Amino acid sequence: MEPPPLVSLEKVSYLYPGSQRPALLNIDLRVRAGEVLGVLGASGSGKTTLCLALNGTVPQLYGGRFFGRCLVAGLDTADHPIHELARHVGIVLQDPGSQLVAVSVESEVAFALENFGVPAAEIRSRVDAALAAVHLEGLASKHPHELSGGQQQRLALAAALALRPSLVVLDEPTAQLDPQAAAEVFALVREINAAHGTTFVIASHASEEIAETVHRAVVLSAGRIAAEGTPEEVFRDAALLERERVRPPGVTAAFERLRQRGVPVGPAPVTLAGGLSALASLGLGQAYRPADPPPLRPGTPALALRQVSHTYPDGTRSLDRVDLEVPAGDYLVVLGQNGSGKSTLLKHLLGLLRPASGRVELNGQPLAGMSVREVARRIGYVGQNPDRQIFNPTVQAEVAFGIGRLGLSAGEQESRIESALASLGLSDRRGAHPLSLSTGDRARVVLAAVLAMEPEVLVLDEPTHGQDEAGARAILEVTADFHRKGRTVIVVTHQLHLMPGFARRAVVLDQGRIVADGRLRDVYHNVVLMRATHLEPPHAVSLARARHPGNTALTPAEFADAWGGPGA
Amino acid sequence: MIRVDSLARGRDTAFSRLDFRAKLAVFAAVSVAAVAWDDPRLGVLLTLATAAGCLGAGVKPAYLWLVARVMAPFLLLLLLTHGFFNVQPVLRLTGHARVTPLLSIPASWPGVGGLVFSLEGGLYGVNVCAKALTLLLLVPLCVLTTDPNNIVTALVRLRVPYRFAFAFASTLRFFPLLMDEIGLVIDAQRLRGFAVEEMGVLERVRTYAKVAVPVILGAMFRAQQIEVVLQSRGFSGQSGRTYLRDSVLGRAGTAVIVGSAVFATLVVGLRVGAHVGAFTTALLP
Repeated sequence: MEPPPLVSLEKVSYLYPGSQRPALLNIDLRVRAGEVLGVLGASGSGKTTLCLALNGTVPQLYGGRFFGRCLVAGLDTADHPIHELARHVGIVLQDPGSQLVAVSVESEVAFALENFGVPAAEIRSRVDAALAAVHLEGLASKHPHELSGGQQQRLALAAALALRPSLVVLDEPTAQLDPQAAAEVFALVREINAAHGTTFVIASHASEEIAETVHRAVVLSAGRIAAEGTPEEVFRDAALLERERVRPPGVTAAFERLRQRGVPVGPAPVTLAGGLSALASLGLGQAYRPADPPPLRPGTPALALRQVSHTYPDGTRSLDRVDLEVPAGDYLVVLGQNGSGKSTLLKHLLGLLRPASGRVELNGQPLAGMSVREVARRIGYVGQNPDRQIFNPTVQAEVAFGIGRLGLSAGEQESRIESALASLGLSDRRGAHPLSLSTGDRARVVLAAVLAMEPEVLVLDEPTHGQDEAGARAILEVTADFHRKGRTVIVVTHQLHLMPGFARRAVVLDQGRIVADGRLRDVYHNVVLMRATHLEPPHAVSLARARHPGNTALTPAEFADAWGGPGA
Repeated sequence: MIRVDSLARGRDTAFSRLDFRAKLAVFAAVSVAAVAWDDPRLGVLLTLATAAGCLGAGVKPAYLWLVARVMAPFLLLLLLTHGFFNVQPVLRLTGHARVTPLLSIPASWPGVGGLVFSLEGGLYGVNVCAKALTLLLLVPLCVLTTDPNNIVTALVRLRVPYRFAFAFASTLRFFPLLMDEIGLVIDAQRLRGFAVEEMGVLERVRTYAKVAVPVILGAMFRAQQIEVVLQSRGFSGQSGRTYLRDSVLGRAGTAVIVGSAVFATLVVGLRVGAHVGAFTTALLP
């Protein structure tokens, strides 16, 4: 007889307090012990709610209306206190920093064990084992904030593993990590699952890593399960993915494109290794290099850093003699692992930090001599978290917030507000409180507020954070419109696969220095340097290079366009 | 990004290694002296000694400088208030018939014309400022030099219920995060052209009020997330909790507690019995 499932959801529905729309609706789901389950779906589809239901946070902490039954290890999660369920369910959340509650790595891991009254000697041995499992040995006495983002997320995983729960739930565990750190977290999941048989439920937009890691995946849609199957079954269903706004792994998309061109590729692989292996049987291809974008007109750069260095008060040297010119009309993406100096560079471009040496210029003039108002008028900034940039009670007031200080006539202000609201599709939401909108809409409110100021340069720090594929592309389309008007765009992101088609140029930062600066195509295809700086090029790049060293395709579409027939 | 808590956290020193209970004894003894001594010379000496103690114990100079900058307007206000308005109380303390004017505001100045800043009032202001600064500096001396885990275990040893001890230590951790959050929101406002330093008082107040919305929301989100994390790690404020590292007083801690008790007894005894530390206007010994 088959053993009972570790997790069993029976007709689970849930509505948050005050909401009429179910966040979960009639969910029937079983997870076997030892299984790794991926949860996919667009933003707002219910992934986080499902994760929180598994450890009782929903409904115990959040309130609301809960229907059906959710059993984990035989315990009803709506009835048993969360701190009791903690023996069976560990959880790792999205933000690495804010889920760490202790002041040293070892006390972070020990915290749960102490709460359950485990004897000190046993705590010591379990802490050592958990830290070894996540490869953080030797860092026991460090403060958690001294760790990198990837290390912090591994520490959160160790803290969840210390109680030896039968189930570990990970909610977007790599959303804030650079590609290499994200890969490390998923590699660890595979390792722990294989070594200890721990069951994992992972909600994520990271299709490539999900495909590499899970045994089974479910796709959520408006709180319902829209599909369920192996990663191959789910990721090969192009119609399903398009309908549910789930991005397939780059390799799957590339092979789908080939199939659409009539290339006999067989079932599309879902992992890069599978793709490379399938490619080998199709023979070598040919060189591919589309025309470079037209050069920008020469002249004074819109923004320039001249020998800029910066050292934080704790001694961290975050920028080291950086020289960077951003010509007017450029679209630049700044890449680098967590802690490489990207945010510090942006803060210098925005005048929020003064360089310890060197200088920053805006249109040839020193930024240091300009007033806050002048800088804000000429450089628009959109940060990672829209909620920190929303100050007003209505969408319209938010869009009007900055332009009121530009000395414009009332008519001009009105016209700009209308134009910004219309271009971001927010005209019919003008009276709504910005914080009542979805994450994607809140990001668009901030973009509208910045664009209404009609800056010369738009600077965006992880603008697609927390967005699904469609939401992310919608935001980037707005930046592309801005760029098409001849203005300058600078984007910092970890989501490399999104930038082809938008950015012209890429800069790679590593330990406060620029180690690569060139056309996006050239930088992405400098695979050795990319990997040396903890960046992983998109699948299409790896496939293109495997097909022919001179193939510089960047996207699945380009990869297919460059095919030229089997063995060409 | 540099964080306020990394600015506050100090280095490892003999004082930082003391058990939190010993540091509480130092806190209590120095507080007794700060309150008991009205002599501005002793008060200033005690403040300087406490500041030196902070530096010696590992509190970062940048943090003390931050405290000094934040406190400067309040201390100036205290000094001016006592200098100009503290007349009868200091006359009673000194037994003088009248105060010694140091400077006076011309009678023609509207509202404040004719006010006199006195030596006695000014010195009493120095005494009050010294008391305030000393008490303020004791917080970083004792708290910032201690691992919050040790704060929790020491308070539990002092029979403070675990959930209160944990809440206290968590607040210490939460405050710097809140300061970071405020900084980020103010930066976001600056980037929309709002420079508070260029604003009048009313506009400044309105702008700060707008900071409150995202800060409070951010703080609530963080608080909720921390609650999720705590409960999912089995935290319920229960008794019967164990500790990986327990609070150990040791010989050094015991010696510090005894020394602090002796010091506090001497301060009170000499103040009551020999009036050592009574208010005086003598600028030199």
